[in-house]
Amino acid sequence: MKVVITGGKHEADYIVNTLKEEHHQLIVINNDRQFAEYISTNNDIPVFPGDPTKAYTLSDAECDNADVLLALSDNDTDNYIACITAKKLFNIKRTVAKVKNPKNVELFKKLGIDSIISSTYLMAQTILNESSVENIIKTLSIEDEKIVMIEIGVEEEYHLVNQRIMDIPFPRNINISCIFRDPHVIIPKGDTRIKAEDKLIIISTPSEKEEIIDFIQKKR
Amino acid sequence: MKRNKFIVIGSGRLGANIATKMSETGEDVIIIDSTEDAFRKLQETFSGYQIVGDATDLAVLENAYIKHAKAVVITTDSDNTNIYLSHICYYVYNVPKIYVRLSDTDKGKLLEGTYIKAIYPFTLSLAEFMDQYEEGDV
Repeated sequence: MKVVITGGKHEADYIVNTLKEEHHQLIVINNDRQFAEYISTNNDIPVFPGDPTKAYTLSDAECDNADVLLALSDNDTDNYIACITAKKLFNIKRTVAKVKNPKNVELFKKLGIDSIISSTYLMAQTILNESSVENIIKTLSIEDEKIVMIEIGVEEEYHLVNQRIMDIPFPRNINISCIFRDPHVIIPKGDTRIKAEDKLIIISTPSEKEEIIDFIQKKR
Repeated sequence: MKRNKFIVIGSGRLGANIATKMSETGEDVIIIDSTEDAFRKLQETFSGYQIVGDATDLAVLENAYIKHAKAVVITTDSDNTNIYLSHICYYVYNVPKIYVRLSDTDKGKLLEGTYIKAIYPFTLSLAEFMDQYEEGDV
């Protein structure tokens, strides 16, 4: 793959080192002359000191028809311009922009940037998904969010502990697909008893998710 | 939805004077700049609204009634910001008339395929010089 990396310091350095191992064709463009020299002395790749929001810089660096352009500067607007210039004038297939303002994730998508990375946005999503305060580890949506997979840890005081699955009055649309009882993986049958410390893998629909979580976590 | 607002982004000499002129003709003008001080360039005859804020924040644009804009003129001092804002006005808010001031004529290529109009002080000055020079020659 032909990859153009513009802006960024630690990010650019790290990505260069990671992609270098896999023999990608790398081009680095950076506004900071000192940093450009640092990358250039440590790696055997073309490095161009310059402004990636200017078409002639991308042209000098021979970025035409690259597979990916990464825009990693600290300025959201500049990252947008670098990506749009790459797409409109240099036929670069995929553009990736880093953004500081998490509100720009949706906006940049609307404006035609292929991938947008915001550490704040990712952090918020991770917290929403994990709800780490409770013993819910993960929920995963599949098939366009029509199906959810819920992973719940069973605690000692839950009402289902030591009950057989066939005896538990479960809500509708629930399927306990798998029980993880360290180190065993159990595919449950009606007479399987749920134990404390079990991890239940449940398949359900998004609308029933809350009800199921409430049901499982009911205490004795 | 009625589109009756005339929005100017960037209260520099050009922006402030366009805002004043349009206000004098009876337009409902709203001018945005990130610093309060910039509005000193407005003339006394300006009777529109002034909004202090960063126009690249959609909340600021919406607060300035961008959804009701019939025209927007973008004259901040950064070409990149100007292009970015013009794209937001075009793709997100579908403002029917968009004018943008650009210093670098190369950047105009990013507006191709849209109805956004670019104003290049460089091209205008060059043409003016050629005119004056030729006149002087006669």
